[in-house]
Amino acid sequence: MNPGAPFHFSTVAHLEYPAGPVATDFDTLREGIATVPVESLFYHTTRIAVRHPRAQDLPANDFARWVGTALQDAETAERLAFAGAQPVLPLEELRASLLRILDDVGHRKEPEPASEAAAFHFVTARSVKVPLDLEATDPELICEAWPYVDHGAAFYHLIEARVFGPASDDLIEWLKANGGRRMAEVAEDVLGGGMPLQRLQREIGGRWRRALIPSRLVRGTEASETERRAHARAVVARFAGRLRKVPERQTP
Amino acid sequence: MNETTRALDPEAAPAPESPLALPIPAPGAMDGWLQHYETVVGPDTLRALEALAKRLKGHRIVMVNTTKTGGGVAEILHRLVVILNELGVPTTWEVMEGDDRFFGVTKKIHNALHGHVAPLTEEDRKVYDERTRIEAGKLALDGDLVLIHDPQPAALIGLRRRPGQRWVWRCHIDLSNRDPDTWEFLRPHVGGYDASIFSAIEFVPPLPIPTYLVPPSIDPFSAKNSEMEPEEVAAILDRYDLPQRGPWVTQISRFDRIKDPIGVIEAFRMIRARRKARLLLAGGGASDDPEGAEVLAEVRQRAEKSRDVTVLELPPGSDLEINALQRASTVVMQKSLREGFALTVSEALWKRRAVVASAVGGIPLQVLHERTGLLSRSIEGAAFQTIRLLDNAELRRELGHEGRAHVRDNFLHTREVRDYLAVFTSLLE
Repeated sequence: MNPGAPFHFSTVAHLEYPAGPVATDFDTLREGIATVPVESLFYHTTRIAVRHPRAQDLPANDFARWVGTALQDAETAERLAFAGAQPVLPLEELRASLLRILDDVGHRKEPEPASEAAAFHFVTARSVKVPLDLEATDPELICEAWPYVDHGAAFYHLIEARVFGPASDDLIEWLKANGGRRMAEVAEDVLGGGMPLQRLQREIGGRWRRALIPSRLVRGTEASETERRAHARAVVARFAGRLRKVPERQTP
Repeated sequence: MNETTRALDPEAAPAPESPLALPIPAPGAMDGWLQHYETVVGPDTLRALEALAKRLKGHRIVMVNTTKTGGGVAEILHRLVVILNELGVPTTWEVMEGDDRFFGVTKKIHNALHGHVAPLTEEDRKVYDERTRIEAGKLALDGDLVLIHDPQPAALIGLRRRPGQRWVWRCHIDLSNRDPDTWEFLRPHVGGYDASIFSAIEFVPPLPIPTYLVPPSIDPFSAKNSEMEPEEVAAILDRYDLPQRGPWVTQISRFDRIKDPIGVIEAFRMIRARRKARLLLAGGGASDDPEGAEVLAEVRQRAEKSRDVTVLELPPGSDLEINALQRASTVVMQKSLREGFALTVSEALWKRRAVVASAVGGIPLQVLHERTGLLSRSIEGAAFQTIRLLDNAELRRELGHEGRAHVRDNFLHTREVRDYLAVFTSLLE
């Protein structure tokens, strides 16, 4: 992390492909979780957020849902759901948690294996990253740009880059290194809640704006009358723009 | 007005300098089809698409299939080609023609890949190879990346591939129950491609080439999916002499055995024995499906013996009618025995309809059981779930609401274009 360097927003598209293993029971699920690359674990747990950005609440991760529906083991499903609900947990730790839960299943009665049609196919994904021609040189500009980045970009900078790097794309680390410690804390706090992406992005944006009010007030008192009027006009114009055009996604 | 606001309003005057001004790039050439999408997916998604498309600057794409009308693939291509061009990725669409014999063979291949075994004869193989050879010379396949859709034109690669080109096979069929002999016939062709694309992981056979997963998608602004006034819906029902009073249970699908229209009638007879309702089976054939007329006759015969069952044969291009019929439905069924992806499900979910569908092919990706719709695995199951929905307006409303959100996030053209751009980029850079 190079303090002072601008933050460049990027978005990503995800190339999804088969990871190899196919599970039909607890043993093969355990074997798959033990051997697949961490990117596949990330896909089946954390990437759920990208697949359901506008959901009212996030579905449980893929492992939990499959164990609940195909293997009909509600208890194990609950435990897997809880283990997979921490977006920035180191992935080897996640793997170990999932395996511990599946090891416990061995002490209970083994359910019937799922049919081939209901088998669990491990998927993995890699990201194709593209710059958004949007850069910010200080935390306030990050706050201003935030509503204009897509869900993919928000997920990438808040979660994916934090887990896989590069560090220069990790927005929280950038904020910490560039005078935005409070904003970084807000983002970390909200991230821990496991919200769907759209709500998470709005929640973070709202709390960032509120966190910046004191510094904006100070700057306002130091600004000239012309500057203050220009700023007030901009706020009114932005509000009027919102009234004119309410995107459908706001009322799903 | 600051830079941010100005950039989102292309007609606005330049803004004064502001200490907080941050130039937000506005979506670019948004005067075409993509412009409509802004209200649904937001300008941020469109900006992301444009950024991805920029990476393909200078590359040309050619799409190839075997029909211009009928079926989900042609429908998708109609829009995707337009959208890719609007994004600045020059894309053309070539249709490989065929005669009745060729399409008879490709239908056999299609059915066999779905698991209905009808062995290919030596004569069939000759017809497939010869017709491909004849048609190959007529197609303009001079792009940097050629995307071949489905098995019908798969053999073109051996005849037309130029050095430096990337060829990708896009399979829309569920190959999990494929007939091994038929797949053996196709596999050498497919193995020569640079990559393959499947709609769902369950469909993927073992292949020696990279495989990507890209579900298909719908266009929310097409005549088939755009919003309609209740009066328009009523007028279309009138035109077909369909009573306004339902409740209507419908399945709108090609008349094809794998869509199980007879099973739908059976399920409806069970429903009708317990609840007052009407069934509508509507659909058409595709120009590359010679079996359609035979199945339709069978369905009509069966329907004549059942109360409150209407069978409608819709000509190609009946998109508005399909839109209206789905909107008039209380429950939309998709009781397929096998499926590619079944985009009719996404169409119904987009219209906030309550859906009962079989857990086959790509349907479970669209219908998340008890969240966006209800899945069934038998005739009795389809009847049971339909009755649940007929009886419970609140459940229909909740499923419809989540179903629409799920389609918006995962099954609109913007998402498919984004996936394609990622695949193209990874192969061309």
